[in-house]
Amino acid sequence: MSRLRGKDRLALEYLYDHYSGALYGAILRIVRKEDIADEVLQDVFLKIWDKFESYDSTKGKLFTWILNVARNQAIDKTRSREISKEKKTTGIDNVVNRIDRSEYLEQGIDDIGVKDILKNLPEEQRFVVEHLYFKGYTQSELADEHNIPLGTIKTRLRLAMKQLRTTLGVT
Amino acid sequence: MNIHDYIATGILEAYALGELSEREREEVEKNLAQYPELREELARVEETQERLLMDAAVTPKASIKTNLFALIDKASSTEAKVVAMPSSSIRLWKYAAAASVTIALIASLQAYYYWNKWRASETSLTELTAQNQRMAQDYNRVNQHLDKMENDLKNVVNNPAFKRVMMMGTPNAPQSMAYVYWNESSKEVYLSIQSLKQLSKDNQYQLWAIIDGKPVDAGVFDGDVAGLLKMKDIASGAAAFAVTIEPRGGKPTPTLETMQVMGNVVKV
Repeated sequence: MSRLRGKDRLALEYLYDHYSGALYGAILRIVRKEDIADEVLQDVFLKIWDKFESYDSTKGKLFTWILNVARNQAIDKTRSREISKEKKTTGIDNVVNRIDRSEYLEQGIDDIGVKDILKNLPEEQRFVVEHLYFKGYTQSELADEHNIPLGTIKTRLRLAMKQLRTTLGVT
Repeated sequence: MNIHDYIATGILEAYALGELSEREREEVEKNLAQYPELREELARVEETQERLLMDAAVTPKASIKTNLFALIDKASSTEAKVVAMPSSSIRLWKYAAAASVTIALIASLQAYYYWNKWRASETSLTELTAQNQRMAQDYNRVNQHLDKMENDLKNVVNNPAFKRVMMMGTPNAPQSMAYVYWNESSKEVYLSIQSLKQLSKDNQYQLWAIIDGKPVDAGVFDGDVAGLLKMKDIASGAAAFAVTIEPRGGKPTPTLETMQVMGNVVKV
């Protein structure tokens, strides 16, 4: 057991050194508040530590798995904060909550690196990538709020990610 | 399933983003296990996603890492009364990790190698099957040919109702020779070529029966046919048969200068 733990600790440290930046960037853009992002990042790594044996490499890359943990955690956190806010301000609908979310925007987060990478994308594709990866929207939320069919969101993301391969040097 | 269309729906991007329902995810995983092309595409999708987020990375405060590992160490020491981990086990772990990477690498190389071999053997199997089919067709053709010859022999050559007319080469073609088998009562005429020279594509041989001194058309044929050729029926009264060279398709009257072989019907 202790040896197993030992393995995990070293693996976890490696993962942290490698991926904490990418994950923190994603989390921060979703929760939009530094102290909450710190908290979520820590929770994410504790969760990875706990559930490491449930990762199955035949189903995808390690980073994908970790990112999904982080993204879910961050989105959940935002939702629970929105819900607690909603309790205080009954009658305010979702859209207002979304606007509310931008209240947490910390200066400059939006501009960190991302704008450059996305600048060559057609407007509608950039919109989808930004909302899904950097604003913490799920595909169905984005579809509902902006009256875009879910299938369209999926194909737009597909086209965008294909285009980004060139920008990011994926062969 | 058309993999191209499937990929174009953006399902792999949604999968990589963790956006699919349990049912959809299981379906994708089933397809991934089945289609190598899909796995390759997913790898590219994941790589793009990873690089996108790596590029947008924000370094967290150093205190987060310190706190995190303090928490983890505390958790594991209370949980399992950890014996101070000997450094050799770290090394061991490193070796184990290196070994597993190597094994994975070798396994994928092997998989690729066997996959290639399998593809190659499938190709040669297809070729062999085609070859086999061709041979079976050839065999059938030879067999039919043999059957026909046997029938010819039984029904015509060895049948006393048929008269054999030996046609010898004329001065035009002294080496040529052919037989006519003629059944006077059934009017059937068969031709058997022994030796006739090769003709150009424009020309054909034409068989004539001489009845009351007049040539009667008995049909055209090419010079390179083996076995018996069924010709036109000839009514009784033929005194001789002859073969001339005529333009392809034959003529109503023979060109006598081109006569190749000729033979009289032997009266019994």
